[in-house]
Amino acid sequence: MASKSEALCKKRIDVADLPGPTARVEAIKERFIKITPEICVERAQLITESYRETEDLPLHLRRAKAFEKILQGMTVFIADGELVVGNQCTKPRSAPVYPEFSCKWLEAELDRLEKRTGDVFLISEEKKTILRELFPYWDKKTSNELATAIMTADALAAQGAGVFTVGNYYFNGVGHISVDYAKVLAKGLNGVIADAKTELAKLDIADPDDLKKMHFLNAVIISNEAVIAFAGRFAAEAEKLAASETDAGRKAELKEIARVCRKVPAQPAGSFQEAVQSFWFIQLVLQIESNGHSISPMRFDQYMYPYLQMDSGITTEQAQELLDLLYIKFSEINKVRDEGSTKAFGGYPMFQNLIVGGVDSEGEDATNELSFMCLQATANTKLYQPSISIRIHSNTPAELYCKAAEVSRLGLGMPAYYNDRFVIPALLSRGLTREDARDYGIIGCVEPQVGGKTEGWHDAAFFNMAKVLELALNNGVDALTGRQLGPKTGDLASFTSFEDVMKAYKTQMEYFVKLLVISDNAVDIAHGQRTPLPFLSSLVDDCLAKGKSLQEGGAHYNFTGPQGVGVGNVGDSLTAIKKLVFEDKAVTLADLKKGLETDFTGVEMESLRQMLLNRAPKYGNDDEYADLVAHEGALIYCREVEKYTNPRGGRFQPGLYPVSANVPLGTVVGATPDGRKSGTPLADGVSPVSGVDQSGPTASVKSVARLDHVIASNGTLLNMKFHPSALKDDRGIQNLVGVTETFFNGGGTHIQYNVISRDTLLDAQKNPDKYQGMVVRVAGYSAFFTSLDKAIQDDIIARTEQVF
Amino acid sequence: MSWSQRYQIYNPADGKRPEPTGLVSDFQRFSVHDGPGIRTIVFLKGCPLRCAWCANPETISPRPEIMLIPHNCIGCGKCYDVCPKGCFGERAERVSKIDRDTCLLPECGKCQHVCYANAINISGRYLTVEEVMEVVERDREFYDRTGGGVTFSGGEPFAQPDFLLKLAYRAKTANLHTAVETCGQAKWDVLGPILEYLDLVLFDLKHMDPGKHLQGTGVSNELIVKNLMHIGSSGTPVRARLPLVPGFNDTVDNVRATAAFVAGLSSLEALDILPYHRMGEPKWRHLDREYRLHGVHPPDRERVYELAEIARSYGIEVTVGG
Repeated sequence: MASKSEALCKKRIDVADLPGPTARVEAIKERFIKITPEICVERAQLITESYRETEDLPLHLRRAKAFEKILQGMTVFIADGELVVGNQCTKPRSAPVYPEFSCKWLEAELDRLEKRTGDVFLISEEKKTILRELFPYWDKKTSNELATAIMTADALAAQGAGVFTVGNYYFNGVGHISVDYAKVLAKGLNGVIADAKTELAKLDIADPDDLKKMHFLNAVIISNEAVIAFAGRFAAEAEKLAASETDAGRKAELKEIARVCRKVPAQPAGSFQEAVQSFWFIQLVLQIESNGHSISPMRFDQYMYPYLQMDSGITTEQAQELLDLLYIKFSEINKVRDEGSTKAFGGYPMFQNLIVGGVDSEGEDATNELSFMCLQATANTKLYQPSISIRIHSNTPAELYCKAAEVSRLGLGMPAYYNDRFVIPALLSRGLTREDARDYGIIGCVEPQVGGKTEGWHDAAFFNMAKVLELALNNGVDALTGRQLGPKTGDLASFTSFEDVMKAYKTQMEYFVKLLVISDNAVDIAHGQRTPLPFLSSLVDDCLAKGKSLQEGGAHYNFTGPQGVGVGNVGDSLTAIKKLVFEDKAVTLADLKKGLETDFTGVEMESLRQMLLNRAPKYGNDDEYADLVAHEGALIYCREVEKYTNPRGGRFQPGLYPVSANVPLGTVVGATPDGRKSGTPLADGVSPVSGVDQSGPTASVKSVARLDHVIASNGTLLNMKFHPSALKDDRGIQNLVGVTETFFNGGGTHIQYNVISRDTLLDAQKNPDKYQGMVVRVAGYSAFFTSLDKAIQDDIIARTEQVF
Repeated sequence: MSWSQRYQIYNPADGKRPEPTGLVSDFQRFSVHDGPGIRTIVFLKGCPLRCAWCANPETISPRPEIMLIPHNCIGCGKCYDVCPKGCFGERAERVSKIDRDTCLLPECGKCQHVCYANAINISGRYLTVEEVMEVVERDREFYDRTGGGVTFSGGEPFAQPDFLLKLAYRAKTANLHTAVETCGQAKWDVLGPILEYLDLVLFDLKHMDPGKHLQGTGVSNELIVKNLMHIGSSGTPVRARLPLVPGFNDTVDNVRATAAFVAGLSSLEALDILPYHRMGEPKWRHLDREYRLHGVHPPDRERVYELAEIARSYGIEVTVGG
């Protein structure tokens, strides 16, 4: 019987057909891996200085002046062998400080940075002193403090209890965006400045709205000019190095770097190297300006391809090397987070998502040579950045699909696969035009949007669905603190039907989603009033035309996307109640209540726990009974979220993925009726609860496909783990394609594969030194395994291994 | 009741239903090493051989059996309370032994019913053809995309010939790719009719020497070798499989003899060398049976590849691991 994917794989291009890493790439990567991240204080010093100087200026100008000062004053360097230049900090992998968003946590944790269990940063005493001296200036001036003032007391209480966290944007910049890179490549920043000037000329500044716009547009011009000058500093540095360079080959390279940096990003790119350098300057300065992660290049293979095509002088080897070097640059970007956040975002992730393949605006296949080279660069560098993704549609070429499967087999957890057949309709349902929906890429972990015209606010919150269920089963009282947190929806023992349980869950959901919306909107308003970003705004439509920053609603599309976490636990808990309490009558609600209250302590209660674990159907086993309850549990959350609007004139849209927040969010949830003990991790994304998916990957995939992925338009995430031997030869690739295709055909939107053996992970825990470079997929991103917190490592290991 | 729950509790009445039933020990979905593509394996209970290295010892007996996993016991004591014969002996903190001679299986099974912690498991469910097919059909889309299907394994599937015939017929007429994994110890009257509904036979050849075969498996290989010759010339594709067991059949002579023999089969696809592993050892303990290969290590990788190379010199395709 000839199968479809067997036929597909016949035409496959081997990894070996594209050039492997050059000696230069290997050497630079080797140098990179050995670096321990440090805190860099330059940015904090420069912005504080600037803010002190500009207290009398309108906000947008202050922001632009500060950005200019940073780019003028920060250290620039070109390391040995580099062809793509541009650094974020004084050293690669160092993290800058962004005091204007929040700094109290950093002040409090300065002495912990070197000692914490995950995501360690080195910092000298001298640098601590510098920071301690400048932090007081920022007291009450940050976006974080303003957001707190806008929030309500009950919203803060719900956050305190761990019902949801809006921490990401509450303490940091927003990021989570993709700009119009194509415009920069084609017109240069000079073109953007010209556009801003055109808009300025249209203003009637006697109109007070236009008067405000004028300052924004002037801020745009200042910040774009600052980026051009920043590139000029690298040109000067390259010229200086070239002058003293004795090696003729390197001297020529440095001269070329100088020439390129004099030209881009000010002017249009005219070669592949110019395009790569221009791209990198933009990608880099966006991070220096914004304090956001998940700034995503998205459809790099589309907007960069014309420059590869036009470049008659470049060989495939040279182009591949430039890409490989660019990937190392992606990995050099870093960010310091508070210790709590490192539990949810472990492994220094920056989530710069680059996606290949998919369809063009006409719906035709968009794959090109560069799509393959982007996958190859991941294989060549084996680093965790960029997060590489692939869009799959009905006519994805077999060669690309198989190339992606081969990269999956390397065990980096990449690429992530996305399903055009369901993502495009999901985006259409959110009001995107057909053309825009077809042009989607992925932001950060798994969030789809169209680049260059969206402020998606994709990582607005992690919402603890399991906590809401706990409250619904406990009359709105927090099981861990005894505090009345939600409405009184009835004592568990008083429920007389499964419908009563669902009603209580729904009422609690309504209450807490509303508090979530208040919290998110407070943070959103605070960003608009304290930390607008003129440079970023200048590269996203329709900010220039509207004369408004992104943070004030300048984008063409605006969304807010909070993530529901714990789908599997909510589903399995409700299933256990439905089946064992109301159908089988094997356990009473009074006993269940006792079990939950005691965290199943004592033999009798442990026996109850085992019944809950082993005598009720479980989501993830291709069992419609459990899957439909999970579907309903998730849908109640999603329907509630999509009712609301944000201050930028856009809608809320739900997602179902946790990054690694399922571990910390689990710590605040008491025992649940799925047999989960108090404080243990929640299920990861839309994946089944760890350990209960015992029917294998085909069953998991079918279960997960039964959720409504279209309504969860902010993204869903399914992590599948395979033993390497299950994917060992061409047959293995064919099987991986078969699993992906069946999942996608059934309605799934995202899947990713972890292909590392359990033994390897256990050994890596014991001998971290041996595995310094080992990358694993955590939950929507990849990280060095050894840099992760032990609990997250354990969670990865505990995920049922899908062995042959 | 949901479909996955149906097989959870052992029900003694299942064996006495009017429609024909077979004794199934387990299903394994997403199997990728027992035939092409993604497959579901149906493990049928009962085997005429007694191989010391058997990785599925719970499939040897043709009757339902208790598998006791004391490690899972939480000490609730319910099994002591429900057992009508006191098979678990004196009450202890953890259940650790069972008097299998007194046990009323296949008639009883009450202990499994109340053991929520899965310390007491019963291997073996009496299922109808349709019940088996309900599980098998669940992954049809995966089979279609990868050229997979269903593999009947065991135990020895031919040891339940009527049931296997009905199953194979049912699966084949449902347009599924069908394979069987067999030790080959069955009469041709039994094998022949079923063969018609099989697309592939995975045929174990444990030793070419009849005496050694008898020593290692409890039966001589005469019937087995004859059957393989027969199938190998019948036109049904066959993969010969050599479970490579250290100290038993891993000699160069045996590998040469095996390769030379299978090279003569006209419908041979390949010879799969399956290196011995110890993953089945705990199950022997759960059945209170001695694992005679305790302490034996899997063969060296190099050694296995060396032997595979020797087998290849007979002009046949040889894989390691299937």
